[in-house]
Amino acid sequence: MKTPDPLLEARGLTVTVGGRTILRDVDLKAVRHRVVGIIGQSGAGKSTLLKCLNRLIELDPRYTLTGDVRLDGLSIYGAGVDVEALRARVGILFQQPVVFPRSIFQNVLFGVRHHGKVPRRNWPEVAERALEEVTLWNEVKDRLHDSALRLSVGQQQRLCLARTLAVGPEVILMDEPTSALDPRSVAAIEELILRLKATRTVVLVTHNLEQARRVADTLVCLCVRDGAGEIAESGSCADVLTHPRCSETIHFLESEGRSSLQTDSSLKKG
Amino acid sequence: MRRAKNVLFVATTAGCAVLSCGVLLAIVGAVLSRGFHAVSWGFLTEQIRLVGADGGIFYNLIGTLILITTALVVCTPFALGIGLLCGVYWRRSRWRRGLVFLLYLLNGVPSILLGLLGLMVFVKYLGWGKSWLAGGIILGAMILPSVAIALIERIDGLPAKYAEAAAGLGLSPGQIIWSVIVPQSLNGLVTGLLLGLARAAGETAPIMFTATIFAGATLPHEIKESPVLSLPYHIFVLAQDSFDPQVAGKLWGTALVLLGMVFILSLAALPVRLRTREEAQHP
Amino acid sequence: MKAAGWKRRLTPTRLLAYGFSALTLAIVGSALAMFLWQSFPVWRHEGLGYLTGKQWHYRGQQFGALPMIYGSVVVSVLALLLAAPIGIGTAVFAVEVVPGRLRIALKILVELLSGIPSVVYGLLGILFLRNWVYTAFERFDPLSGDTLLTASLLLAVMILPTTMTLSEDALRGVPNAQRIAARGLGLTRAETVFSVTLPQAAPGIVSAVLLGLGRALGETIAVFLVVGRQDNQWPSNLFSLRPLIEGGQTLTSKLGGSETNIAFGDPLHWAAIVGLGLILFALTAAATLASLWFGARRRDDA
Repeated sequence: MKTPDPLLEARGLTVTVGGRTILRDVDLKAVRHRVVGIIGQSGAGKSTLLKCLNRLIELDPRYTLTGDVRLDGLSIYGAGVDVEALRARVGILFQQPVVFPRSIFQNVLFGVRHHGKVPRRNWPEVAERALEEVTLWNEVKDRLHDSALRLSVGQQQRLCLARTLAVGPEVILMDEPTSALDPRSVAAIEELILRLKATRTVVLVTHNLEQARRVADTLVCLCVRDGAGEIAESGSCADVLTHPRCSETIHFLESEGRSSLQTDSSLKKG
Repeated sequence: MRRAKNVLFVATTAGCAVLSCGVLLAIVGAVLSRGFHAVSWGFLTEQIRLVGADGGIFYNLIGTLILITTALVVCTPFALGIGLLCGVYWRRSRWRRGLVFLLYLLNGVPSILLGLLGLMVFVKYLGWGKSWLAGGIILGAMILPSVAIALIERIDGLPAKYAEAAAGLGLSPGQIIWSVIVPQSLNGLVTGLLLGLARAAGETAPIMFTATIFAGATLPHEIKESPVLSLPYHIFVLAQDSFDPQVAGKLWGTALVLLGMVFILSLAALPVRLRTREEAQHP
Repeated sequence: MKAAGWKRRLTPTRLLAYGFSALTLAIVGSALAMFLWQSFPVWRHEGLGYLTGKQWHYRGQQFGALPMIYGSVVVSVLALLLAAPIGIGTAVFAVEVVPGRLRIALKILVELLSGIPSVVYGLLGILFLRNWVYTAFERFDPLSGDTLLTASLLLAVMILPTTMTLSEDALRGVPNAQRIAARGLGLTRAETVFSVTLPQAAPGIVSAVLLGLGRALGETIAVFLVVGRQDNQWPSNLFSLRPLIEGGQTLTSKLGGSETNIAFGDPLHWAAIVGLGLILFALTAAATLASLWFGARRRDDA
């Protein structure tokens, strides 16, 4: 079966800072309505890779980047690209939930307000829809104007996701979104990701292989070679986890204590 | 539209920055260009003649040095005492907030009021007349709050592990203070002092009633009735008379020397301050 | 760090710490008491008229401080209105727009600017500012270039570094994660600064500005040299701008003048002078207190 064209694609991405190479020649393909998982050693540059996909890497001018990233076939690093519009199309969720010191309502609409594409009268509807999508609506509908800082960490992370969704992205980047959360919230977020898959595309960085197995369709493994992060392995999730080919991947998987991977087929997800 | 606002934003803030830097450079440039040819080794080592129209500023320089050295000696024990109290003994106490608050309040007291106080206490009440010691004490008092605050901040920033390790080794509290805390916080004290002395060197208001005169003094012999010359007061007096071009060059030269002294003291404090800043940002 | 055995032993170090601190407090208390006591005669003589009286004639034993209070406030507030936007703008530029080494260079420049002694500012004010104000406002027929406006302009330059450095501290106190999250949502840099950074840095910035106000109110030498030192300048119309280009007197310029030296002979005159110091102290303390209050608010929100 021919693989469909990727919605978001990175080619030959190399990132350096101050003479040191962080990423070398990294390729990544994110196909529509699929979840791509990025796994690998810590320090291999997973977060950096993610930030290249929505040009957030540019916030720190010390980083230089070569290679290309294409969204729907068009380079996002091209001249004349509207970076703000790009980031509306490619949203991001961070490891630590970052809520602004404002009400829940104002937080959800934060991006929407500034992009100015939705008229004010539609805002409550947009907010409700986004909060429903992250299953937060029922929990907060009676206190929309309370400070968002009062929410639990798990709720805050879902709020951040709602905030990103409200802007209407096609791709959502997630940088270890559940690392800081309790098990219940982790399960909630993973469930959300599986549901989001129907309408969007997700690129997920995770250090938890079980999570990768539960949630990701394809997997990319970043390992450090010659001081810089490189793609050691990529392919379908099942393939990578059960039949790793690259020595670094094997080493990494073993160090995560997953030597019994190959026999654990009952955990395969649908 | 959003893009346009962004550009306007960057342009406006850049304009502010350019203006700020421009002002500084203009000031320094003005003093430098006008005072440069007046400053020479002779200028620095001769004394005033002809009411400033001739000669050098030797005793003015000495006078300012005497004043700030006295300020240093007066200020240090108090700053150390207060710093240790807030940073060590009262570290977790409620009282500490009150004392630190008071320090910030005192820091905002105008220097002229300290001069007025000095006039009341030293010149009149104690009958010292104009005295170098009074000036030094007043200046020391003036810089005390900021030096104490600098020391306290430094002590606060020290990692607890060193003091804990010392306590674990069985050192007494006093020994811990003098062998661990003080050495490590010393550069906080030193930078505070350097910056304070830079400020003290340039102040006129606290000393003009209490310690300094325009001409006629060399080195002080005793405490009473022993004023000194000083750089800032020299400038202050000459600036008020409409100038004789002869005097003008010397005036700018004096300003340049004073500026140089202040800059050297401030710059000496800079490396440590920058380093402490970075340490605080990235612990 | 309180271990057992710390509590009651009177070591030399303890003596140093508690002793010098207590001594400082005692001195501060006495100083304040002395000011109050020495100024008592004028309060008795003039009552509240001391604060509201518009005439100061020491030979006639008439002491009204209002024109000087007016002068101090006008000069300082105007200086603030000029310096604060530029200082804050520079701080925003340094923190939000410009990265790394350039920011440090800017910081060093501004720190040096803040160290320039006031007498040097006064000198520059006399030489350049005075003439500039005189010629710029020539058609209003000013008496000289020594005016309230001249003093304001000079003060504005003097408090610029303070407002800039402290505003910069306030801006840097906003966690960077917030900026990144806002940019990640697709906000421009300007939008991030105005919607995220500035609102959170606002208390710190207000604190910085108030501290600048305190400094401006207390500045003596520079103001003394260019303000004109005209007593009893009370504007007929409080809202007119005319007084700005006339000479005036501030609390500090009076205190720095010759009257302070000659007043000692006459208890009433002396009390009046000390009273001015008391008023000045009250004003600057108010500004400092307000600044600290806003500064503490920032720390509580963090």
